[in-house]
This record gives sequence, structure tokens and C-alpha cells, in this order.
Amino acid sequence: MTDQDVPTTAGGRPALPGAEIGPVRAVPDAVRLLRFGAVTRNAHRIHYDAEFARSEGLAGPVVMAQLHGCLLHRAAAAFAGGDPRAVRALGWQNRAPASPGDRLAVTGTVRTVDAATGEVTLDLEETLDDGTVCCRGHAVVALPPSPDGEGSRRT
Amino acid sequence: MEAVATAVDLAERRARALVGRVEHRSLGVVRAAEAAEFARAAGETSACLVDPEDAGFVVHPMYVVSLLRGVPGAGDEEFRPDGMYRDEVPGTDGLDVALMAGGQDVRWIADVRPGDRIDVRRTLTEVARKGRGTGFLLLTAEKTYGTAERGVLIEVTERFIVR
Repeated sequence: MTDQDVPTTAGGRPALPGAEIGPVRAVPDAVRLLRFGAVTRNAHRIHYDAEFARSEGLAGPVVMAQLHGCLLHRAAAAFAGGDPRAVRALGWQNRAPASPGDRLAVTGTVRTVDAATGEVTLDLEETLDDGTVCCRGHAVVALPPSPDGEGSRRT
Repeated sequence: MEAVATAVDLAERRARALVGRVEHRSLGVVRAAEAAEFARAAGETSACLVDPEDAGFVVHPMYVVSLLRGVPGAGDEEFRPDGMYRDEVPGTDGLDVALMAGGQDVRWIADVRPGDRIDVRRTLTEVARKGRGTGFLLLTAEKTYGTAERGVLIEVTERFIVR
């Protein structure tokens, strides 16, 4: 891989394996959970009914898995310069619940870079302030080709 | 004496009988305004996601894969007491079990566009018993989201936890 082949992020930084990503932060509160549940038609009571959530063994209402996914997606898109369509794949496992008002941060590292296709695979992690891992996942993003069309894929 | 089957046992038995069965669901037609509302609810601020009038507007890639139902929603009889849909997690209808999302793998093949009429195809592919004692079930389903005209747009592997 030559320097001209190295895909780069929005800021022109080379996307090299091991490079750090983020953090992208969010604090999904009870209002956001209500709004998100409404637009996705998710009426599962673990997301808004504290007593019911406790009866299920949770500490209280929890953030929806899909909302975690949206934050991971945002982090991957941000790495690709903010283009949401640059994210070609996203996977995650829910490891621990997050409560409304928790401060979430998505960080990660570049796992691999395919200079031929411009696709970069990211390892992602969403954590609480205390270090608890809520989600662990990965994304594949396609960095855009360079404006000069010579394949350097600089943005 | 044979042990009494737990709700998780029953769910496992039912789910195993459903492995390989293909289910279909329509999410209806994607509307730009509703996709923008989703993006706003998710906390996005980029005009390309939250403003349908923006020249670069795109449907949030997570929109249709996050939708549990399309318009006009579900009737009362479609819900479990816990608020989840009776058919959302295979094999659990009518059982007193706790349901949790286990995670997803989403692969975008093509953009979802306003006007697309989205059909979901779901197949339960794996049922695994995990943990000690009664433990829990880990169900894996393969889903595709697409239209009759454009074919498959998104592939999803989804995991549910039943305990």
C-alpha cells in the first residue's frame, strides 16, 4: 500500500489499522426514548414503565437496542465524513443495558483497510461513563474516492 | 417423574418447530417526513437526515430496520401484556417470558428511498439454549427488507434473548 492508496477520513487523516475513532456522545433521556418508541412503534414496557422493567430484573427502563444502533451508525458515518450512506454494514451485540439519562460514548479503532475498495472496517464500543460496555460491534464504511479521481480516496 | 416444563422450555419447543419457516410483513410505503421524524427522534441534526426539503436528503439507513410496524400500527389484539408484539419474537406468543434484543448485523445493499413499499421477510434460523439452570434462549433470525420492484435492499441478522 502506497501513501496514495491510503483511504482517509473527513479530516484528511489516513485511515490506518489501529487508528482511533470518536468519541461520539449522546445522552438519551426519557423524552428521547418516548419519541423513538413512538416513531418506531415500539411499545415494549421495559422502555418506559419503571415498575414493569424492575419486574423483568432490570434496574429501570432501558434504552432501545435500535437507538444504540443509531448511535453506533452515527459514529461510523462521522468517521466517513458524515455521509450516512457510507456505512455499508453495522453489527453490534447488546452487552449491558443503558438507562435514560446515561451518558453514552462510542469509540473505536480501525481494524482493517482495503485500499482497493476504499472499505474500512471499524471495531466499535459504546460505553457508559463508568466504563461499562453497553454494546460492542463493528462497521464497514466506504470512504469516498478522491476528487481528482486518482484513487487516493482522500476526502 | 418428569419435570414440569417452564415457559422457556415451551418457547424453545415452539421456536424449534418454527425454524426455517418464512414469514412476511409489510412496513408500508416509506415517507420522507416520517423518515425525518425518525432521524430527529434518534437525535440526528444533519440536514440530510432531518430535512426532507434538503437537496441531499436521504432516508436514515437505520429507519426501516428499526420499525417494528408500519402505518397504521397494530390493533390491541396484536400486543402482549409486556407491550411487545405477539409475533415479534418467534415462539413466545402467550408465554410469560421476558424478551430482550440481543443485537443485530445490518448489511445495506441499496438505499431505501421515499416511495419504496417495504416488505420484510423473516426466517428463524437458530435456537440455542444458553446459561445455567433454566437459562435463556438465544434466537437468531435472518431478515430481508426490500421492494417488489427493487429487490432486497437490506439484509439483517437479528438476535433475541428469551428468559
